[in-house]
Amino acid sequence: MLKISKLVKRYGNGDPVLKELDLEVPGESVVSIIGASGAGKSTLLRCINRLVEPTSGTIELNGVELTRLRGRELRMARRRIGMIFQSFNLVDRLTVMENVQSGRLGYLPLWRAAFRRYPREDIRRAYELMERVGIAHYANKRADELSGGERQRVGVVRALMQNPEILLADEPTASLDPKTSEQIMDLLRALSREYELPVLINIHNVTEAKQYTDRIVGMRYGRIMFDDVPDALDADAMEQIYAGVPAEERGEGADPQMMAAAG
Amino acid sequence: MSATPDTWRKPPMIANPLLRYGLLLAVVVYVVWAVSIMPFDWERVSQGLVRAQRIFSGAFPPSFARSGLLIDGFLESLKIAILATVGGVLLSVPIAFMAAKNLAPVPIFMLGRGIIIVARSFHPVIVAIIFVKAVGFGPFAGVLTLIVYSIGFVAKMLAERIEEIDRGQVEAMRSVGARYLPTLIYGVFPQIMPRLVGLGIYQLDSNLRASAVVGIVGAGGIGATLANAFGRYDYDFALAITIVIVAVILVSEGISGQIRKRVW
Amino acid sequence: MVSLDTTPEDWARYTPRQRLQRFAIFLICGLAVFWSLASIDVIWAWVWTAPQQMGDLFGRMIPPDTRNLGTILWVLVETVNIATLATAVAVILSLPVAYISAQNTTPNRATLWLGRFILVSSRSVNTIIWALLFVAIFGPGIVAGIVAIMFRSIGFIGKLLGEAIEEIDRRPVEALEATGASRFKVILYAIVPQVMPTFWAVSILRWDINLRESTVLGLVGAGGIGIILQGAIDTFNWPEAATVLLAILALVIVGEVVSAFLRKRII
Repeated sequence: MLKISKLVKRYGNGDPVLKELDLEVPGESVVSIIGASGAGKSTLLRCINRLVEPTSGTIELNGVELTRLRGRELRMARRRIGMIFQSFNLVDRLTVMENVQSGRLGYLPLWRAAFRRYPREDIRRAYELMERVGIAHYANKRADELSGGERQRVGVVRALMQNPEILLADEPTASLDPKTSEQIMDLLRALSREYELPVLINIHNVTEAKQYTDRIVGMRYGRIMFDDVPDALDADAMEQIYAGVPAEERGEGADPQMMAAAG
Repeated sequence: MSATPDTWRKPPMIANPLLRYGLLLAVVVYVVWAVSIMPFDWERVSQGLVRAQRIFSGAFPPSFARSGLLIDGFLESLKIAILATVGGVLLSVPIAFMAAKNLAPVPIFMLGRGIIIVARSFHPVIVAIIFVKAVGFGPFAGVLTLIVYSIGFVAKMLAERIEEIDRGQVEAMRSVGARYLPTLIYGVFPQIMPRLVGLGIYQLDSNLRASAVVGIVGAGGIGATLANAFGRYDYDFALAITIVIVAVILVSEGISGQIRKRVW
Repeated sequence: MVSLDTTPEDWARYTPRQRLQRFAIFLICGLAVFWSLASIDVIWAWVWTAPQQMGDLFGRMIPPDTRNLGTILWVLVETVNIATLATAVAVILSLPVAYISAQNTTPNRATLWLGRFILVSSRSVNTIIWALLFVAIFGPGIVAGIVAIMFRSIGFIGKLLGEAIEEIDRRPVEALEATGASRFKVILYAIVPQVMPTFWAVSILRWDINLRESTVLGLVGAGGIGIILQGAIDTFNWPEAATVLLAILALVIVGEVVSAFLRKRII
């Protein structure tokens, strides 16, 4: 269970990006966060694992307050939070196996990490997860030899290797073609069920959000404007979240690439 | 379904194990051998700390008492660098044309490349001692040395630039009936001029650095002043010279960087 | 719009302002050359006889004397060893220096400035000047040469490696921080693989340069082939000096070929 209350983030002396934001995510549900770029989606996600330092407010994950942790305690907490990135953020020159095992870095003694002497159970688990998402035969390939969809699967396995209590996904499909991005969304939803994980997804494709998630949170100007099941997202709600944003940036209907091809 | 594997090894950089361990062994053997045959004079080295202390206590504080000598040395280095740069760049232009594969006939190309390889291969200090023997101690040997040094770099880079020029412009000139020299002047020079200016500025900076070094073997400039100070155990003066050399190099590097940013 | 009733008859490549600027630059360059020529301490009579002197000297080098070739080749091997060992040690020592002098990895401002100080002082002092100092400390010999080359190489390698660290892709670093990996593990997994190509390229490049530098150490007494060259020149044994020069030329060319090969294989 993730519980965020009165979260504020301000960069420098500017306007706050997040304004006293409250959000609760109970276990095993897929929640998507939609909103125009600049609404604060990415900042919100990065506040949870403290890649971005919140200015004030509290974030509680399964009873642990995250905003006050320092050093070793913070690293212990981060081990329990898996993250998936828009540009995959793999280490290109390492093999897929090393990338996957880097999800265990928080647990491994330094010598094992340095000499690539991973524990047997970690290797078995890595192969199982890679098998599950269909990339096991790539274990010895370098990460930069893979296609976008395959790279994102490596990213997903890396996050799952952490044994996370929650998965954060920051625009996981924005760099992928429509077909691959549907596969990844499908995978995230299935994994959430299999491992009983809450999954929080930033996404700008509203159609995908409606199709693959249990709940949609709409953000605008650092506040939550909408929070309900996908079916409740009607034209009014869309107007609230996206008022004044050009239609092509709303991520409605067809994928932007396909729209460009059609237009 | 087969059992999931629970072991994994990173694929080695060299796949063949014989070659891999062979190379590793060869490297270890080489290092051990190389260290073992070094004629280290450990007794002399062990006295080093004492001597280092004497040198450093002699060097502090740096003495600028003979700053007249220091300034003269520097001005001489500057003159050497300027003349060597001008001479070197002027000579580099024909040599670069000789060494450009697309413009020169094969025998001339070989000659041009040969000159560049020889000029690049010898460290300026070696060139300097030969010139010092041939034309005597002093800045003239320094100028000659740095001309050779400049050719090694400027002619090489310029030849590479000439090989990249746009053939279309040359052919356009030829097609209006221009002869060889006008073709060069209108078809090739405008394309390589910016690079030539940039290289010249860079080389002036390099020559200034190098002139501090060639002086040590008698080719004039601040290097000679430094070598003299060292030879006479004037470590405080030597430190002062070194500090000024470092400062001048930093300033000159900054200036040439600025100029090149604008020219390029 | 330019009025079309008068067709311009004169054409100039530059505007008057540009022309003035160019003129000023040419004037400054010309004055600098004139000043150098006029005041440089050169006996001009010697300049005019220089070509003859040079021809004379090279004439005396022919034919090269190869009676000492065995010794020369052996010392050449020693020269290679100096360059290789010094490069190897310098590469290892430059790693921590690069780490503290890259803005994105340095622990704090003090270490950043310490790193930069090491780089600048190492880079600005030429190998020969370092050799002069270490010959004074350790006495003439190979140790002084190795230490001199090392001192100069640390700045070179450290600077290029530090720049490579500053230019890495930040995103994998962020991803591994998010997994709860400690600082050192993030370096091992996200930074080291990214700078490896630069690391090899710079090490090979520096080895190639050091090969050249180690041929002159002997001229200030710091070991290597330079000692034999100096000896031959001091005794006016020009045929032997010619052999040494040819040996150095061969060494440098072989070094260039080897480093090109290594570069292709490793990177």
